[in-house]
Amino acid sequence: MQVNSYFSLYLNKYWRQLVISLCLLSVFSLSSNSFANQVNSTAESTSRVWKNVEMRGTKQNVYFHAWGGDQQINNYIQWVAEQVKEKYQINLHHVKLTDTSEAVSRVLAEKAADNHRNGQVDLVWINGANFASMAKYQLLAADWAGELPNFQLTNPTNNPAMTRDFGVPTQGMEAPWGQAALTFYFDSLKVNDVPETLSDLLIWSEKHPGHFTYPKPPDFLGMSFLKYALLVLSESQPSSIQDQLYQPVTAESEAALLPALWQFLDQLHPTLWRQGKHFVSNGLALRRLMSDTELQVSFTFSAAEIPSAISRYDLPDSTRSYRMKDGSLSNIHFVAIPYNSPHIEGAKLVANFLLSPEAQARKQKTAIWGDSSVLDLSQLTPTQKALFDVNEKQHLSANIINIDNTRLLSELHPSWVKVITEQWLTRYGVQ
Amino acid sequence: MIVANTLFTRLVRNSPYLLIALLVVPVLGGLLGVLLPAFGWFPALGANEFGLFGFIQLFNTPGIERMVMLSFGTSLISTLLAFVITVLILASYFNSPWLKRIQRLLGPILVIPHAAAAIAIGFLITPSGFLSRLVSPWLSGWDVPPDWLFPHDPYGLSIILGLTLKELPFLLLIALGVLAQPEIGKTLKAQHKVASSLGYCPMTGFFKVILPSLYGYMRLPILAVLAYSSASVEIPLILGSNTPPTLAVAIMQWFSDVDLSLRIKASSGAILQILITLSLLGSWCLLELLVKKCSASFLVNGEREYGGMLIQRVTHLITTVMLSVIGLALVAMVLWSFAGFWSFPDLLPQQLVTLHWSSALLQMQTPLFNTLVIAISTTLIAIALTLFVLEAEQQNTKTISAISGFIIYLPLLIPSIAFLFGLVWLFEQVNSQHAYINVVFSHLLFVLPYVFLSLANSYRRLDPRFSTVAASLGVPPSKIFWQLKLPLLLSPILIASALGLAISFSQYLPTLLSGAGRINTITTEAVTLANGASRRTSAVYALMQMLLPALFFILAWAAPKLFFRNRG
Repeated sequence: MQVNSYFSLYLNKYWRQLVISLCLLSVFSLSSNSFANQVNSTAESTSRVWKNVEMRGTKQNVYFHAWGGDQQINNYIQWVAEQVKEKYQINLHHVKLTDTSEAVSRVLAEKAADNHRNGQVDLVWINGANFASMAKYQLLAADWAGELPNFQLTNPTNNPAMTRDFGVPTQGMEAPWGQAALTFYFDSLKVNDVPETLSDLLIWSEKHPGHFTYPKPPDFLGMSFLKYALLVLSESQPSSIQDQLYQPVTAESEAALLPALWQFLDQLHPTLWRQGKHFVSNGLALRRLMSDTELQVSFTFSAAEIPSAISRYDLPDSTRSYRMKDGSLSNIHFVAIPYNSPHIEGAKLVANFLLSPEAQARKQKTAIWGDSSVLDLSQLTPTQKALFDVNEKQHLSANIINIDNTRLLSELHPSWVKVITEQWLTRYGVQ
Repeated sequence: MIVANTLFTRLVRNSPYLLIALLVVPVLGGLLGVLLPAFGWFPALGANEFGLFGFIQLFNTPGIERMVMLSFGTSLISTLLAFVITVLILASYFNSPWLKRIQRLLGPILVIPHAAAAIAIGFLITPSGFLSRLVSPWLSGWDVPPDWLFPHDPYGLSIILGLTLKELPFLLLIALGVLAQPEIGKTLKAQHKVASSLGYCPMTGFFKVILPSLYGYMRLPILAVLAYSSASVEIPLILGSNTPPTLAVAIMQWFSDVDLSLRIKASSGAILQILITLSLLGSWCLLELLVKKCSASFLVNGEREYGGMLIQRVTHLITTVMLSVIGLALVAMVLWSFAGFWSFPDLLPQQLVTLHWSSALLQMQTPLFNTLVIAISTTLIAIALTLFVLEAEQQNTKTISAISGFIIYLPLLIPSIAFLFGLVWLFEQVNSQHAYINVVFSHLLFVLPYVFLSLANSYRRLDPRFSTVAASLGVPPSKIFWQLKLPLLLSPILIASALGLAISFSQYLPTLLSGAGRINTITTEAVTLANGASRRTSAVYALMQMLLPALFFILAWAAPKLFFRNRG
């Protein structure tokens, strides 16, 4: 479930501003990102290399391992398959995962069995801890993302986010695909005092016990909620301590930062759904509980799923979505190629197509998927830019309240996940 | 018996070796694939030293003892309950037309995959579920769902409920399969008549005359059910608590955790799971001995009546409650598959739409095709091999050795979660890239034992005088096999085939792991979607999963009737 997270369409507005300001900044200071520089210096040879990739990648079978729990996303990948079939005669097979770690296990098992050339996974949708794991055990092909012609459209030189995955440098092992931010939603007929900050949430939940919960860590969405809480709670700390959240965890940083989180959760848990004695196992179960009206406020990384769930009757028509005023956790998701993929050229062609303005613009449409583009619009031609124009009719829930005045909170260093999960399980895992 | 040396007899004679190899190699190989990491050997993770740190990590897991207790308790109690209710139903409705009707009503449950059944039951009993909607708000006064800790209760009551409801139809079908065999069924029924004519109340007659013989045939299936439930994942995952979960669920989560080093702990957990399952099987055998000791005098004390009416009434009640639970769950599932928005406490959805069916059916074609191809090829292999092995037994005039007999049940008695991850490693070792073949191969591990289980007794009990007479008339063994034994066994063969298909249809982990996720079946799609957010789409898939095997069971029941009518 690690990568079923994506921005809403509307974040793009915010993103555009961010990109523009970053561009302006770069006029005065050159980025020190070594990978991005390296990308530029090799730009001339890129086209020759790419010709070669195009030649060899044509007609390959590419097995794309991607989370398959959402019909909209599956349909989008189906569309990608049709496109690459037409363009390169590539047969793209979507291997639907229930959890991205299945693909990680598979590549690991292959490595354990000395299968270094003929792996089953050609392309995998990935980010965060799964990426950190695969990178750590050297399960990914490196230095290929810069070869993709469309990668330049993300403006990597001026946009370090495209070459960092949860703070870890991607070293060309991943190409960005989309981005997401934590979005809350509620039933506007049932809730009239929506909690808009973390401290509000505690007060609200005390007033309406049993109508909020979060998935049990290490579930991705549950972990994201804990990270959001930790980031907000650590704001009272001096910035030198706050910064440690973006570095590998140490005993000192743990002792300085985590107690506030446990104190908060000790207060919150008795007010949760099932008195905090049971937690759902995955993020999607939250939506089912919202649909059962057991929960009244919930959250997701995929804001676009809300209008689409309403159209399929999986959420009430009165559902509305919003961002927390004190910040919204955000991250980028990527595609990577395992080191032992036999169809590496085909996989690169697919990754490049995923980054094309055509594919990114289609992905961003709420009716298709609603996942925000990673392209820097300033790098596009006017015709390409026009693809991103919005003229669809949307459900009210697609208008995210507070979208323009929330800060985006960056992901913590992946090493925090393990520490938080272990301590959470010790504290709350046995009831 | 001297048997001619023809191609047929050679084929038959060698079939047991093939059967044993097909079952032993993957299971033992798979076990090796978790045994090594369990003791710290996992070169791909940079772990090259044998040691017990996996186990130390395992026993330091918060709540590990609760996980073990939960696994042990829920599977023992649910199996016991399923067995007792099976016996009560058989005793109360023996010789009554109701037995067939109950069997028919319960049959569909057998073929619902565990995940779908768990979701259906979950919807019934959750605070916002169908049961609570039935009484709200007019009786209960609930405008919002109550915040109870059920399901997901820490004692595993909801797991027990789910497992019992799933195990019961299987045990009942096995028992009825035994009774349906012409030889045994007739003998037992005749003995029951004698008992009745001696003044035994029908219920007492059943317990004293039929059960002791019948139990012998049910023993292995019961042990398989026990082993399966101790390590099953779907029901505890959906209905059970997760603070902490059962051991099997925890193992699965560790195996799929992003923190790859947890795989060593997971492997150690898999070894612990095997020990739990073995100790459960041991406990059951002890329980058996105890009951045998205590009931020895009861069988021959000549008492004719033990409040049979009361037991019968209790059974009526249990059966009614159970059937209504199942019926309501089915109704709820059908309603969900057509539901527009459906908020609490509405008993019915606000509107009915066909959107969920139409969009699901569009996406279902490839998975449906895969499901059928795999299930049919697996079942054909399993049936052919089983029949040959059983024929080999008869030609050698002795049953296969105790060790071989045990090996056949190996995949059912060893928790699949313990060897499947190792099996993937094994496929890697032999570099088998044909996903279809790998999947059929791993399905065979589960289909073969069940098919064997359901055919062996009928085949062994087939009156040997038929073949002796035919052989003395000079009929060759192949002709006896094809033209005499198979037609006589048509009914059990068809039921075994339907069972084989159903087992193959419902496989989730084996399909996913050995198919490298490249092969989508209705079940892999359903479980993926069941974990998703839409109860409506998963209801559609769950119903599809029921319809498919149900179709084959209906065929299995109907075909012999047609066949024998033509003969009559």
